[in-house]
Amino acid sequence: MELQERFEELQAEGLGVAAISYDSEEVLAAFAERHGITDVALLSDDDSAAIRAFGIYNHVAEEGLGPNAEDPVVKADVLRYVAVFGALPIAVGTPFPGTFVVDRQGRVTARFFEEFYRERNTAANIMLKLGTPISGSAGSSGETAHLEINATQSDPAITVGSRFHLALDITPKPGMHVYAPGAGDAGYRVVGLTLEVPGFLRLLPTDYPESEIYYFEPLDERVAVYQEPFRLVQEVVVEGDQESSAQLAEIDVLTLTGRLDYQACDDRICYDPASVPLTWTLTVSPLDRQRALAAGQ
Amino acid sequence: MKSTLYTPIVAACLALVATAALSAQERKPVDVSTLGPQVGERVPDFALPDQHGRNRTLDSIMGEKGAMILFHRSADW
Repeated sequence: MELQERFEELQAEGLGVAAISYDSEEVLAAFAERHGITDVALLSDDDSAAIRAFGIYNHVAEEGLGPNAEDPVVKADVLRYVAVFGALPIAVGTPFPGTFVVDRQGRVTARFFEEFYRERNTAANIMLKLGTPISGSAGSSGETAHLEINATQSDPAITVGSRFHLALDITPKPGMHVYAPGAGDAGYRVVGLTLEVPGFLRLLPTDYPESEIYYFEPLDERVAVYQEPFRLVQEVVVEGDQESSAQLAEIDVLTLTGRLDYQACDDRICYDPASVPLTWTLTVSPLDRQRALAAGQ
Repeated sequence: MKSTLYTPIVAACLALVATAALSAQERKPVDVSTLGPQVGERVPDFALPDQHGRNRTLDSIMGEKGAMILFHRSADW
């Protein structure tokens, strides 16, 4: 399981790991059993004492249910740190999700906190949620708790001046939706592909299919979402200038890495934003040989 | 005299402004970056049972170079 594998990596780096939540020992035991987590310490802070001692108790969950629930500042924080549906009794007792890395003396060397709904990619998120990258070159697929993802590419080989695309076929699991372009205005994270590319590649805007409007009654809100299988297409142009040609001539195989960021919700709850690592491998064809081939045909 | 007439109104306005400023101070939006131990500060110790029912502390989870402590909302939802 991912967490277990991450643990092994962290352990190799000399770091112990503990995950603290307000769940009971029984809930944690069942979770560990389901996910094959043996070595990672899942700690039960069922009265939130440690969470409070760390100073990260999520008081917003209570405020949203209390006399100040209508305070606009409280309302905004509830949307941000509790749930888009408003206050949830089950969220009372939880922390603001975050991660501390400490040295042997217990001093913080790094810390990562997520803003629940307007999330940055944090190490916690990445360490916990990233499994093996889904490789487009193998036409491989993978899944998260919310989505099934299949990555493909139009061409196994690229050359100077060529244009190709990378595609992701995404199937939300039953009852799930992810946010489509336009939903960002309402504060939701739009599903998106981020690619790191060398200078000789130029990315065109990601092509999104038409979305549907999801009516969320508690907030009287209409948001653009995908609930059905959909495809994101990323067109890439290999620059044709001399410098790009020179750079391309130096390499045989090009590995592109990227990630799919999304936030999934069902009709009850919004899950933490997630990132899925992606990789595509492309063969670089020397330009001259391709020309020679074309000439020979 | 004009000034005696205006003074209470001005005072009331100032009081209102002060109240508004005070209430804004009372409940600012949460900024998670300011919460909890900051870099360089020590985290509190803890004693919590793990999934196997064993009691664990900061010391017991420590690796040779330190530890990573993750806080989650829940494993259950």
